[in-house]
Amino acid sequence: MANLTLFTFCAGTTTLHRLDVRHKTALVCMVSLALFTSGFAGCLACFLVLSLLTRTIGISLPQLLGQLKWFILLLGIMFAARALTIPGDPVFSFSGIVATKEGLAQGALVAMRFFLVMMTGLLFSATTRPADLKSAAQWFLKPVPFVPEKQVAIMISLFLRFLPLILSQAGQTADAVNARCGNLHKNPIRRIRCQTLPVLKKTFMAADRLCLAMDARCYSEDRTDLEFETGGRNTLSMAAGTGLCLLMVGLSHSSFFKMIFW
Amino acid sequence: MPRPLLEIDHLTHEFTAGSGIYDICLRVFPGEFILLAGPNGSGKTTLIRHLNALVRPSSGEVRLHGRPVTSDIVFARKTIGMVFQDADTQIVGDTVFDEVAFGPENLKIPRPLIREKVTQTLARMDLSHLADRNPATLSGGEKRRLTIAGILVMDPEIIVLDEPFANLDYPSSKALVGIISELNQEGQTIIMATHEVEDVITCATRIIIMDSKGRLSRDGRPEDLLGHLAACGVKEPCFSRMGYKKPPWQT
Repeated sequence: MANLTLFTFCAGTTTLHRLDVRHKTALVCMVSLALFTSGFAGCLACFLVLSLLTRTIGISLPQLLGQLKWFILLLGIMFAARALTIPGDPVFSFSGIVATKEGLAQGALVAMRFFLVMMTGLLFSATTRPADLKSAAQWFLKPVPFVPEKQVAIMISLFLRFLPLILSQAGQTADAVNARCGNLHKNPIRRIRCQTLPVLKKTFMAADRLCLAMDARCYSEDRTDLEFETGGRNTLSMAAGTGLCLLMVGLSHSSFFKMIFW
Repeated sequence: MPRPLLEIDHLTHEFTAGSGIYDICLRVFPGEFILLAGPNGSGKTTLIRHLNALVRPSSGEVRLHGRPVTSDIVFARKTIGMVFQDADTQIVGDTVFDEVAFGPENLKIPRPLIREKVTQTLARMDLSHLADRNPATLSGGEKRRLTIAGILVMDPEIIVLDEPFANLDYPSSKALVGIISELNQEGQTIIMATHEVEDVITCATRIIIMDSKGRLSRDGRPEDLLGHLAACGVKEPCFSRMGYKKPPWQT
């Protein structure tokens, strides 16, 4: 069984699941842009809303942190780099390395922004079927000349569908190599070769079988198009999303909140 | 005698490595349940991939309703539904519902009709309760049922199954035999490639055995060929080795 991550689609009937994927894409773009102009207060407001939405689709905070653990480590490195390199009022020093107040604040803000962008992406991918993504890509690419939108869309859809399978195969190959003490090889090139070549071979063979299976079910680019969800909830969600973005930017620029956070 | 659904005439497919299938001649009639047996590498999979023109032969021809399958490939693939050995690489949908809808979408069937057909097929294969599930989270038996549903929804006249019992446990295999047998009793023509005939031989109406050189070695009723299976590289069912013509619990 392929390992499921939070970034794979989880079926559900929440409003987020039922939103038109084009509106959802626009919302993700809006929130991401608003985040990069927001300060602490705006980020906090966004975090509260995103946490609530994450809860409603059935993902708990420990699950979320577990899935993002490597990303959080990266954010920690970013935070430390900012804290130690931005000049300002020193807060503490250790062996000649000085952390400044401005650096800590900047580092925390940047880390928080990236974390929230990841949360937004997670909410999007967990509530959007790759088939809907395919339809959205097709819709967005339709006006672009010289781009075969149907081909691009199916490539995106298959990539999203088979990424977990490829990762699962890579894991199995690593286990098989390590079971025969492959991890004892000192030469990194040999280690990479032992693991990469079998994974590539398996992936190409799986792709070949997939093509045959799709051909056997009459696959062609000229298919019944997916329907986009319509209804008032899309307009309402866009309005709520716009409201949140305005609130985030407004809070961050209000002098009261600036005073509290700085 | 009814008109054959499918005719295979002197079909040969040679691979550069030397293996392949050679001079295969067959007729498949409506309602038959054919077991295509033979040892590994005997060319069972190669042969069934010719049935709906997934591969092209070196020589010979396959005809469906009297017309070469290559003359109307969409018709051939709609009429002959194929269930592959590895369910994981056959499943392309994000949910069970989407997976079953994949075939009708390819045929450009209008969306409301797709919904109706998929709902009916899921109910028929007892998968309705899993409609919103990610196929990757299903058990082996459920995945196999899903692949059959993905074919059934296209209303095929013949269902071809390639090693359907591979990687299945006993209860899943038993359930699958029940489903396939039921489909056959409803009039569906079944062709099943397998090297393990024990589970299903009592349901089959005909058995075709291929030898290790890719040639058709035997073709007849299962009860007549039971004693020849081992000589052809196919494991003889336990009841036959014990001297019974049928499993004792069926007599």
